[in-house]
Amino acid sequence: MAQELKSINLVAPAFKGINTEDSPLAQDPSFAEIADNAVIDKRGRIAARKGHSVITTDKTALGSGTIRALHEFEKSSGSNVVLSAGNNKVFTGTTTLTDATPGGYTITADNWKIVNFNEKAYLFQASHAPLVYDGTSVVTLSSVSGAAGVVQGNEVLAAYGRLWVTGLSTNPSVVYWSDLLIGHDYSGGTSGSIDISKVWPDGYDEIVALAAHNGFLIIFGKRSIVVYQGAEAPATMSLADTVAGVGCVDRDTVQYTGTDVLFLSHTGLKSFGRTIQQKSMPVSSLSGNITKDIINALQTETSFFRSAYSPEEGFYLLTFVGQDNTYCFDVRGTTENGSYRVTRWPSTGFACYTRLDNGDFNIGTSSGISQYTGYQDNGLGYRFKYYSPSLTFGDASRIKILKKLKPTLVGANNATVFMKWAYDFKGTYSTAEFTVGDQVTGFFGESEYTVVEFTGGALTNQRSLNATGYGTSVVVGLEAEIDGSQLSLQEINVMALMGKLL
Amino acid sequence: MLSLPQLLGLGSLGAGGLLTGKAYQRLGDIGEQARRESSELAETGMEQSQFRPFTVTTGTGGALSTTPEGGLTVGLSPQEQAFQQQMFGGAGQFYGQAMQPTQEREQAVFERIRQAQRPEEERQRLATEERLASQGRLGLRTAQFGGAPEQFALAKAQEESRNQAMLSAMQQAQQEQMQQAQLGGQFMGAGYTPQAQALNVLQAGLPAAQMAQRGQLYGAGLFGEAEMGGLEALLGSGLGQANLYGQLGTGLLSGLLTPQSVGMGDGITKIVNPFFELLGIGG
Repeated sequence: MAQELKSINLVAPAFKGINTEDSPLAQDPSFAEIADNAVIDKRGRIAARKGHSVITTDKTALGSGTIRALHEFEKSSGSNVVLSAGNNKVFTGTTTLTDATPGGYTITADNWKIVNFNEKAYLFQASHAPLVYDGTSVVTLSSVSGAAGVVQGNEVLAAYGRLWVTGLSTNPSVVYWSDLLIGHDYSGGTSGSIDISKVWPDGYDEIVALAAHNGFLIIFGKRSIVVYQGAEAPATMSLADTVAGVGCVDRDTVQYTGTDVLFLSHTGLKSFGRTIQQKSMPVSSLSGNITKDIINALQTETSFFRSAYSPEEGFYLLTFVGQDNTYCFDVRGTTENGSYRVTRWPSTGFACYTRLDNGDFNIGTSSGISQYTGYQDNGLGYRFKYYSPSLTFGDASRIKILKKLKPTLVGANNATVFMKWAYDFKGTYSTAEFTVGDQVTGFFGESEYTVVEFTGGALTNQRSLNATGYGTSVVVGLEAEIDGSQLSLQEINVMALMGKLL
Repeated sequence: MLSLPQLLGLGSLGAGGLLTGKAYQRLGDIGEQARRESSELAETGMEQSQFRPFTVTTGTGGALSTTPEGGLTVGLSPQEQAFQQQMFGGAGQFYGQAMQPTQEREQAVFERIRQAQRPEEERQRLATEERLASQGRLGLRTAQFGGAPEQFALAKAQEESRNQAMLSAMQQAQQEQMQQAQLGGQFMGAGYTPQAQALNVLQAGLPAAQMAQRGQLYGAGLFGEAEMGGLEALLGSGLGQANLYGQLGTGLLSGLLTPQSVGMGDGITKIVNPFFELLGIGG
């Protein structure tokens, strides 16, 4: 008598993102072992990320370099200008990168931190005299009329009507602030400084980054955090809280999400959300599902960290530039353990980001400045990968014999899809390849009857693939070459025979 | 040749002239005597009414002696002199201190005030430091205040206190200077106290001296009046004698010059007429 096929339906697989922390056998199928070049789409499905479309048409000034700093300079007049840096130069513009480096000014690194403040953009990085852009030219800050006591720091924050500068190699525990609304005066008016070397909760630390939130001035050390309240009047601001053991890895990992401040610590991505609610400072971990991966990545990173937050896309990107590896945290919700759903974008070449005022998300690459849009990377396809954790179908003691795999895809027009499966933690995958047909949508009045079918949006494609082999645990994967069309993985229906007890 | 009546007439004429001359001489002598004796009386009165010095002795041994010329000598006892010297010495010392410049004293007073203020200032500084430390603001440096506003306020308050101490020290030094001057004056006054007290005793002794002087002057007055009475009597008697001589002389001269109708009268007339004739009167 033939055995009944057992159907295990993986609905919205990996909609909780990657989880490399829990035991594969005990994992929820909603997690993924691998989710490369993926995001969590608006319906909570794992989907291919967007690609980047290069805007720059003339990158002569950039040469063979890479855009490593991006910033949109916004003026009240609305004439915004994108500032960028790469190849030891400072550029203006997006389609044509115009070298705006001040004459006679030597740049030896492209790790600029750029902020807008009072109709000007200020550029700071370690061991470099600060620069300022007033909408027409970039000049050294000290050359501005009235400049006094200009501080050569690595971190700058525009908040509460002042520029806050820190990260001096000679005074790593001092925060300087400018005179009110005067970003070039650090010795007159209401300017000042504070040395927090006696404030660090664990005795010693060095300031890495600054953030402003809800009236607080948040000072990130390498291993600790100091929070001052009343920073609107820095002369009277006072210590509100300190956190020992948690610091910030790099100034470029700090991002504001409107209601929260995200930053990368040595133990993963952290947030101040709970602080705001509970008026206490225990920070929650938002990368709890990939903690070890994050720690490993930051320990081996020798280049830059870059991050970005896009409310339109609903993600926080964290890029380890030297490893060319980006983690995409979906900030719209958290899993049961309070972590963000996370996917990975490997080998993208993304080096920096900025969100424009109009909502566009720009990316700095070696090709210049790109926009996060479409489903090609500068005209080329990229590989979307999903691999499930090891599945035991509720009974780890029985052999499972896969008979069919039925993936349901949304979109993926003309994409070649590889369905993969493997047993018992072996890295040898069996593959079934198929090509999704034409998935171009046809709308009434726009397409001809003979060309396309009328649809209501992205088309859904469901395939049934025969599977082979057996084992007690199964890993199911799906890879697709994304080359112009979106792809979302709606579900994977696994038909298996339950075999004998081992 | 002169007849008898003529001779008698000449005799009477001579006697009358002598008596009249005697009266005249007598009046002149009496006036001279009265002037001389009046001068003697005045000298006697001067002697009798002259001031007689007296001495008042105090109970503490001091003595005040007057001089005939009206002077006054104050003599103090040794104790009083010692007291006076002590007071004068103190007065000199205080005046000397009052005349010294006040800068050193101001500095000394200022240091005393600051010594009193410093402990509290140090406590306030430590409290501010602890408060700033608890607020994580020890390392605060501002262009506006230098350090934290609290530190600025504390420093300002301490500077104001220091300035106030300086002004107080100046005022105190000046008050002390004035006080020393006043003390010098008081000591000076106290040094004259024995003398003043002695003079007060003199005031008490004056009535007795005045009583004695009044008796003396009264006696001199009586003496003068008595002497003057004698002089007046002498003048009266002299005048009387002179008048008598005068009247006799006048009588004689009148009888000689008066015409006699019977007897002797005729004879006198006969005697006098030739006199008048000689004088070219009548006829």
